[in-house]
Amino acid sequence: MLPAPFTPDFLSRLEALRLKTRREVLGSRPGSYSSPRRGTSLEFADYRRYSPGDDIRYLDWGIFARSDRLYVKLFREEVDLFVYLFIDASGSMAFPSPKEKFSPACQVALALAYVVLANHDHVKLHILQTASTSSASPFYRGRHRIMDCIDFASSISPKGVLELAPALGEHLRRIRRPGKAILLSDLLMPVSSCQSGLNLLRAFNLDISVIQVLSRQELDPSFPRGSLALLDSESQAELRLQWSPGLHSEYQERLGRHNRELRSFCHQSGIHYSLFVADQQLSEFVLGTLPAIGLFK
Amino acid sequence: MEFLNPAALYAFFGLPLLLIPYLMRRTPRRVVFSSLLLLQEFSFRREGRPWGRLRVPPIFFLQLLFLSLLILVLGEPVLSVHPIKIAIILDNSASMQALEGQRSRFAMALDEARDLLSSSSPRTRVDLFLTVPRLERVGKDALTPTEALTLISGLRPYDLGEAAVDYGEELLRLKREKGYERIFFLTDHPVRGQGGAIKVVSVGRSKENLAITSFHVTKHSFGSSQLQARVEITNFSPREGRFRLSLKGEGKVLSAGTHTLAPRNSMTASFEGFPFHPYYEVELEVSDALALDNRRLAVPPASKEFKILGISPRPEAVHSLRLIPGLGVDVISPGAYEKSKDEEHSLQIFHFSAPSQLPQSHALLVLPPRENPLVAQGRAVSPPVISAWREPHPLTRYVNFALFRPVYARSLKPLSFADSIIEGPEGPLVIAVEHGGFRYLVLGFDPFPYLGRENLPMSIFTMNFLEWFYQGLGGSVTATGEPLQVRVQEDGVLATPKGDKFPIRKDSSLFSQTFFQGLYQVVQGDRQALFAVNLQNVKESDLSNPVPIDLKEETGNSGSPSLLFSLWPYLLLLSVLLLVLEWFVNPPATERSSGSSGARL
Repeated sequence: MLPAPFTPDFLSRLEALRLKTRREVLGSRPGSYSSPRRGTSLEFADYRRYSPGDDIRYLDWGIFARSDRLYVKLFREEVDLFVYLFIDASGSMAFPSPKEKFSPACQVALALAYVVLANHDHVKLHILQTASTSSASPFYRGRHRIMDCIDFASSISPKGVLELAPALGEHLRRIRRPGKAILLSDLLMPVSSCQSGLNLLRAFNLDISVIQVLSRQELDPSFPRGSLALLDSESQAELRLQWSPGLHSEYQERLGRHNRELRSFCHQSGIHYSLFVADQQLSEFVLGTLPAIGLFK
Repeated sequence: MEFLNPAALYAFFGLPLLLIPYLMRRTPRRVVFSSLLLLQEFSFRREGRPWGRLRVPPIFFLQLLFLSLLILVLGEPVLSVHPIKIAIILDNSASMQALEGQRSRFAMALDEARDLLSSSSPRTRVDLFLTVPRLERVGKDALTPTEALTLISGLRPYDLGEAAVDYGEELLRLKREKGYERIFFLTDHPVRGQGGAIKVVSVGRSKENLAITSFHVTKHSFGSSQLQARVEITNFSPREGRFRLSLKGEGKVLSAGTHTLAPRNSMTASFEGFPFHPYYEVELEVSDALALDNRRLAVPPASKEFKILGISPRPEAVHSLRLIPGLGVDVISPGAYEKSKDEEHSLQIFHFSAPSQLPQSHALLVLPPRENPLVAQGRAVSPPVISAWREPHPLTRYVNFALFRPVYARSLKPLSFADSIIEGPEGPLVIAVEHGGFRYLVLGFDPFPYLGRENLPMSIFTMNFLEWFYQGLGGSVTATGEPLQVRVQEDGVLATPKGDKFPIRKDSSLFSQTFFQGLYQVVQGDRQALFAVNLQNVKESDLSNPVPIDLKEETGNSGSPSLLFSLWPYLLLLSVLLLVLEWFVNPPATERSSGSSGARL
């Protein structure tokens, strides 16, 4: 059974969407995405001198009439898309609780997966955890496989420490076809680590989108005033400090700066970036925010 | 500035305890957070602060201020240019003799008083009061603490019960009238309510006690020489009491027996057939808190003949009483009575006559003339109808009023308070008066002559009033605090149980200082008379259920320094409110569900 936000109405609206890619992709079957290869689509690509054996149906008779030379018209090949959804399942995604952060992140991923499946493209879910516990689903194709996606996502419980670049590298070793990579993570790590991870994706010639998932508690922490011993949810490191309203606003300022740096890097690198607050409405985010940043056609 | 309650200032030593909650809160609250990446620098910054470890919020100093004020107020500061005036009231009633372990309650109260006086300033002026026989000051007023200490060492409890006084009202009145800044009441009563400047110090706790509540030695009847003793014992404890009860005559045990008494119950023991002694003592051999009520004394009624003087214009009628055995009857005419000087008759019967003033003996007035000191005459009725009578009453017992038919009667109108015994439709026909230790009976009909079985109802009534008068003769027991009726023909000496001796003049007939239980002896030449005086106050014996003192709030005394003292509940409330407020502003170190344990849901 589909999770609560996936109502028939929401699903039908998702079916109307199609992921947009900034690069040509190398699909395995005919589809609706441009391929660098020449093919049989209706989109004109180039001319080539006629060689014996070419299909005379593609001869451009107009050029032959003007120049008395034979040219054949070449068309772009349109192929299907391979989408890689990387979901951060580290310990920090379970803050303040898995239901409040990890589940919403998974729902965004499932909504995107459904968009892909509804267009008869391929989607694969990659779970980013420690190197030993990382896992990935097989490729799914066809909308009926959304249930498999849900089952796979439900079987994951967030835990452990995430090193983004090594974890991505582990998964990328197994990727054979370029396509679209969508990373869902809180990205609460040094900006340099984020950059390393994203550069790795870029190196694999993937069209990248980043959805940063943060809980309301992270945006606006409501700690009691006074002496606190904060425990890192991933590393269990302890940090003692005096919490005060001043510190609260200072933290928010630092978080804003951190997010701005990430956004700026994504912008410069041609990566779609969006922030999803976990208590936000899923439909509002998927149908409103993501099209606005150009993730969908 | 001085303090009426300096002991409260010791609470200043407890003020550092206020730091404890803050030190406890300094133990940091453990909260789980997704990532400490953005918080790392803050930690370094805090550790660099030199005063970081000593940081307390400003509200702490406010709390400190209010608690200090509260302690100061509890110490009752007095800005006085005049000496502080306090009153110490010591409960010296009989129950204060009860033992609490090895010491009596009164000794404990004295210790409390000594502590109070020792901690008082030398400028303090003290008035000392005792509660019995009445609430009154002892010694001179405005004593220095040293003088008061000397005075209280000579005080002792009396064998007296407390008067029915509302101490709450009485203490308030005392404070108002005398302007005391503080009243200390040291008693064994519990206290209810707040008294402001009146402070009740309760000594002692609820105790089990067995007590002799009544002891009488009487003759079987006025015609008999045989004595009987009746003892009533009450168990004031919630447990069954087992005791040995012995009757003694002049110190020698005459009879004894062991008894068991159910909790909160009473029993009556009787002794008969014992020889005549000048006085008797009954003793309860039991180990309980109050020894005073385990002993009672009684003096037997005079053994001599019950002699009656009749004053009648018709002597034959009164003479008929001679038919009753054990009675000596002399009859004189009314004219001869004024000249006579009667001293040896126990009862005077005025038959159709009356004295000009009440005689100093028991007296019966039968159809008295208009000029008499007790009643006015009402309507004459012939034959009279008896419509009501007191029952039960010793004068009406065994009388069949359906057959009780005097030939003639006249209703009576008492001139002062009197007890109506028998009534007709027109008014009382028989009234009884007790005055000055004597019994007076006025009949509105003539019971004479005594006809024995021929008029049985009237004969029974006659025997009843003779018995009633006889019971009123000697042998009665006086309660402590009641005056003794001493009838002396010449000057004498009265010796108290404590050995004190008081001269008794010929014309004085009352001795009021009966503060101690025991035998009071009156000696006149070679004659002597004994009076048994006993504690007869059940409330003093009931140590398990003392009556609480209800303290009332003072009103309209704004000029008093105790106004400051009355502020303490508000200051306390304010301090508590501040603590609560601080609690909310800076909540305790419990882990928040959203920040820690909730992260693992």
